[in-house]
Amino acid sequence: MKRSKRFEILEKRPINLDGFSEEWAEVGLIAMESQYDPEPSIAIENGIVVEMDGKRREDFDSIDLFIADYGINLEHAETAMKIDTLQIARMLVDVNVPREEILRITTAITPAKITKVMSHLNVVEIMMAQMKMRSRRRPSNQAHITNLEDNPILMAADAAEAALRGFSEIETTTAVSRYAPFNALALLVGGLCGKRRILSQCSLEEAMELKMGMKGLTSYAETVSVYGTEAVMTDGDDTPWSKGFLASIYASRGIKMRFTSGTGAEVLMGNTEKKSMLYLEARCLFLTKACGVQGTQNGSVSCIGIPGAVPGGFRVIAAENLMASMLNLEVASGNDQTFTHSDMRRMSKVFMQLLPGTDFICSGFSAVPNFDDMFAGSNTDCDDYDDWYVLQRDMRVDGGIHPIREEDAVRVRNKAAKALQAVFQYFDLPEISEDEVEAATYAYSSYDMPKRNMVEDMKAAERFLAGSTGFDVARALWEKGFHDVSENVLDMLKQRITGDYLHTAAIFDEEFNLESALNDPNLYEGPGTGYRISEERWNKIIQKENILGPKDF
Amino acid sequence: MTNTGKKLILEIKELGVAKQSGDPGEIVIAVSPSFGVQQRQTIVGLPHAVVVRELAAGVEEEGFKPRFVKYYNSSDLCSFANEAAKLSGSGISIGIQSKGTIIIHQRDLQQLDNLEIFPQAPLYDAEIYRQIGKNAARYGKGITPEPVPTLNDQMALAKYQIKAALLHIKETELVVPKKPPVDLELQIKEVAE
Repeated sequence: MKRSKRFEILEKRPINLDGFSEEWAEVGLIAMESQYDPEPSIAIENGIVVEMDGKRREDFDSIDLFIADYGINLEHAETAMKIDTLQIARMLVDVNVPREEILRITTAITPAKITKVMSHLNVVEIMMAQMKMRSRRRPSNQAHITNLEDNPILMAADAAEAALRGFSEIETTTAVSRYAPFNALALLVGGLCGKRRILSQCSLEEAMELKMGMKGLTSYAETVSVYGTEAVMTDGDDTPWSKGFLASIYASRGIKMRFTSGTGAEVLMGNTEKKSMLYLEARCLFLTKACGVQGTQNGSVSCIGIPGAVPGGFRVIAAENLMASMLNLEVASGNDQTFTHSDMRRMSKVFMQLLPGTDFICSGFSAVPNFDDMFAGSNTDCDDYDDWYVLQRDMRVDGGIHPIREEDAVRVRNKAAKALQAVFQYFDLPEISEDEVEAATYAYSSYDMPKRNMVEDMKAAERFLAGSTGFDVARALWEKGFHDVSENVLDMLKQRITGDYLHTAAIFDEEFNLESALNDPNLYEGPGTGYRISEERWNKIIQKENILGPKDF
Repeated sequence: MTNTGKKLILEIKELGVAKQSGDPGEIVIAVSPSFGVQQRQTIVGLPHAVVVRELAAGVEEEGFKPRFVKYYNSSDLCSFANEAAKLSGSGISIGIQSKGTIIIHQRDLQQLDNLEIFPQAPLYDAEIYRQIGKNAARYGKGITPEPVPTLNDQMALAKYQIKAALLHIKETELVVPKKPPVDLELQIKEVAE
């Protein structure tokens, strides 16, 4: 065939490098409304659920059983299940129906029922509902901080810069898992170098992740995964009870934690029991609730290439974030994985959470160049900061971060690198040279850093973890003269004893005050209510260096 | 591939249930249910024949014996690789899925932990597989080698995740729960294309 020049050009557009797929309900490759999804039902006898979503209790798998016994508010269940799903959907977008009233219903229905509610909503309605159902009043954001070499000095500097930009949480993981104690240490020290208190975590194999939390090297945990089918759950060597047990260990040590789940995970793991992605995610969220966990990281997360490939992908992802909010869970809403070559497509995806606001819009935004992002790259990275700032300014929305000045970034990066250098000296870890401090201060990426002896670092990291805790880090910083950083580290450890930051959606503001769904809930009920950007915040969001004003003319 | 005009064919013979040999000089290379049979190449088309040749060569260069074992009971990489490490006389295993995702595991580690993991299958060529073979053997000697350099392409997911899912679904359909692992005898034959 003679080719059309227009079609030839179109074919070369970035969007056409993305992977797409037809729906295939038999393997669960369908966003929502699968013919194989169950019809909602509940039957309760003597306070026990004997039937749920068309299945008798004796046929329950372990996930059904756990949800039926712990995940549904049975006091309201029979009345809530009688309300038509269309009516619940309408209540969600009605500004005259308060959040609290909806929660009474949505925490008392079943996974199949909440999935059906979603099927009535278009994307704008999902966003309207999300604005109302978010648990914390103020939306915020989270950053990824990693690098290809696991270079700890660079990581500390990047953590300090991320805190300055306004991220409320920072998350790292490793290129090589044995480096983990240093990654956690770098975020702890670097993240707390400035004035604000920032929560940090290191995503790892669960036992190691827990250990570092218990040692006070991290202040929250996020990558505790749950899945919507029993087969996938047991592949990960887990049951609902083992996850619940893990959750309670974090709570007992005063460590904030959320579960992780998301559409597409079960498809990717090859076991969907023919159910739609959204129904399986509903099961994950009810399971999260049943475990008594305060929040979730969902929104397909690292599996976004799966729902992203089928029709209705963005809609289902926005719907799963909303479902989490409808169960009164904190939601860290994904937007944390590259899934498209198209800039139009990637920002359109973010808007669905940025415009209504979620507890954490990205989980997280890569605060490093994407090639250094060891979560396999995020949807937005450090090259996108100015785009993000301008979009906040264009639309008067708060995406959780704000512009900073170059000299301030250089200052905090330098301080973080020096603080980590001092801590390494104190613990007799492999030396951090002046050259490395200088390189980290001004670096763009790990390519700007001198190579370290990784083998020596990994051995030292193991030694450090065996012998030291967060308290020792505070002591090291104090003795080396970094008194303010030391106090910040100690303050974060004290939080575990007061426990305030275990409440739903807790973060710290710039003065170390706690903001959570308990003391600062989202009370949106239409125009003039809910979160509104203050003048002070607005001035921070719009300040930019290259803006013309009367002074220029 | 080095042999232009020639095609490599991997012939696989199942020997019998794999038992602990107690040989400290072996590295178990554990393959997933459809490896080399129903699926014969990685997600980017690298023939499994090349993958096993390079892995084996890497292990042998460090003076160790590669022992290929097939796992039927799981397609979950961490799960069968950790089982394989417990089987391996050296306590070290390499686990590989048909799409090319690969891990170095050790028997004393938690199942979901690893010595080195290579989660972005579309990026791996013959050279990387050889280096992985070498490093596994070095762990077998009890030394701590410099890890194989980490490759990261943030666009790999956008392009390949859906394909990866479908390949994995096909592989997982072949899982036979509780079926014990079997030793394999591998032969690579060259045929004219």
